[in-house]
Amino acid sequence: MVYRRWMLSIALVALALVASGPGVHAQSTPVKLGLSAAVSGGSAASGEAIKRGLLIAIDEINARGGVLGGRKLELVVRDDEGNPAKGVVIARELVEREQVAAVFGGLHTTVALAQVPVWHELKTPYMGMWAAGTNITRNGQKPNYAFRVSANDDYVDKFLARYATERLKRGKPGFLLENTAWGQSNEVGLTKWFGDQGVKAVGIEKFNWNDPDMSPQLLRLKNGGADLVVLVANAPEGAQVVKSRAKVGWAVPILSHWGISGGRFAELTGDLSDGVTFIQTYSFFGQQSARGQHVLKQLAEKFGVKGPEEVIAPVGTANAYDALHLVALAIEQAKSTDGAKVRDALEDLKGEYTGLIKAYRRPFTSDQHDALTDQDYIMVVWRGGKIVPVQ
Amino acid sequence: MYGLVALGYHITWVTSRTMNFSQGHAVMAGGVVAYGLHVAAGWPLAPALVLTLAACALFGLLVERVAVRPFFRAASPVWLLSTIACGIIAENVAMLTFGKDARAFPSALATRPVFILGAGVYPLELLLPVAGLSLMGAVQLFYHRTFFGKQLKAVAFNAEAAGLMGISIPRAVMTAYGLSALLAGVAGVMLAPLTNVAPTMGTLIGLKAFAVAIIGGLNSAAGIVAAGLLYGLVESLVAGYVSTGAREIVGFALVIAMLVLRPWGLLGARPARRV
Repeated sequence: MVYRRWMLSIALVALALVASGPGVHAQSTPVKLGLSAAVSGGSAASGEAIKRGLLIAIDEINARGGVLGGRKLELVVRDDEGNPAKGVVIARELVEREQVAAVFGGLHTTVALAQVPVWHELKTPYMGMWAAGTNITRNGQKPNYAFRVSANDDYVDKFLARYATERLKRGKPGFLLENTAWGQSNEVGLTKWFGDQGVKAVGIEKFNWNDPDMSPQLLRLKNGGADLVVLVANAPEGAQVVKSRAKVGWAVPILSHWGISGGRFAELTGDLSDGVTFIQTYSFFGQQSARGQHVLKQLAEKFGVKGPEEVIAPVGTANAYDALHLVALAIEQAKSTDGAKVRDALEDLKGEYTGLIKAYRRPFTSDQHDALTDQDYIMVVWRGGKIVPVQ
Repeated sequence: MYGLVALGYHITWVTSRTMNFSQGHAVMAGGVVAYGLHVAAGWPLAPALVLTLAACALFGLLVERVAVRPFFRAASPVWLLSTIACGIIAENVAMLTFGKDARAFPSALATRPVFILGAGVYPLELLLPVAGLSLMGAVQLFYHRTFFGKQLKAVAFNAEAAGLMGISIPRAVMTAYGLSALLAGVAGVMLAPLTNVAPTMGTLIGLKAFAVAIIGGLNSAAGIVAAGLLYGLVESLVAGYVSTGAREIVGFALVIAMLVLRPWGLLGARPARRV
């Protein structure tokens, strides 16, 4: 009797194992992709913009059958709240529990830097969409699992330095940076690239997150004789800088990194934001390519965005859209969702993908993990609460 | 403004030997509720302010009832932790309802700066010390001139005796908490246009106000007023002439120095030593 029951249970277990075996359902299990971004907080607009870009690209790919012979792509979103500790926890959860094939990143350099060791330990590719810290992709790891379709601080600083000296003809910049790893990354880059143009900063000032007033820093720069303020800040702090500038009554132009576009900058500053010039990788204004028009149409249909002036944090959407397509191509090329194989495929992408921002041909190599360089950036300016390209 | 919020610590300490460590969050509540009524719901400023201050007072009463009274009766210092907990709860409720990002609170008094001696100042910033000092003066008047104020002082002096004389101790403590939260709410509303409204706006202010209360002497209202002005002055000077990073360092170092050298504060009464 006991013997019969025992055999029965073994048979049942064997049957269950066979039924749940890999071969049977693989064709229809979705390929999961993770997103770790700030979906709430002062830079929530960036998280939302990135999500939209990813979802539009995912829907496109799923509409034509998905990847790896019919597997649909699925996005798993986690809110890292701009908190590096939370980012690390999310990184592990996405790979170990959700088993994502790759993870897309958000705005915060501090979070991305904290997550870099995790991607290498768990052998999962990371694709940055916004965070520009130079050392995210130049992290000294071999093989390098961190990729990026976004700005790289080193290139950004080169672009800003060139723009300041050649276009704006300013020779006495003052740097105003946030007191974090991102600020430091830019301090290094700005000093180097302005130095390359033979220009030294009259002052380098820092501020902390949530600081309400930057008048002391601005006054010190003003007294140092600065004719331009180069700003590296996120939206809440950037807004306070602009307000402080009005308060001290100093009509100095502000040239900024793109952090300020990741939140409610225009709302917080009102018409004080007019004239603040900053960098982007893409603009939905002006003549759009077929892809650009398609993305705008999708934004209108899915998210009710009525025109380019209503696109929130546009670089998030543009970068994310192209990055997702590149990752999908890599998965197809690798014929697998295995992290190491996808990574290798990304470093050696065959063919050409005509994306939103540009045409990508072999965007990544073993030495270059940034798909975009300063050749791909554009300068934009706030006018009446809207982001428009600089003429 | 530090002085105003610090006065709240003083009032509750003096009445019940307890402090409301969610004072900072009462500041935040002032800003958040005012934003909700005036900016989001479009109420005109005056009724929005009245309701905001009522809401803050209510918050103070709630904290007293839930987090302080049970422990006050048991003469236990647990109110320290429970008021902190109330503050954390308030902050998270605000995060859920208001959202985590900072929102702008427009004010006609904080749009264009006036220039005095070459320095740009918003009219609102000029109003802050005036409002703060007059409110503190009003509170002092309340204590010394009105009957109810004297009752509160009596409870502070000797709770048992006051109780024997027919003064309601629970009511006195309740009033103290409501009043201190109200003052914090005023500070929150006045600061909102300058610092933007966010659920996290109260924490640092609460800490600094506590520092001011310590420096000024928990038992002395005048000391707190003086300390508030002094602390703000030191902060601005340090930020302007030394470095903005040093601002908090110097401020809190002052607190530590005060506690080491003169624990009863600037104008607090030196505790009598029984020989």
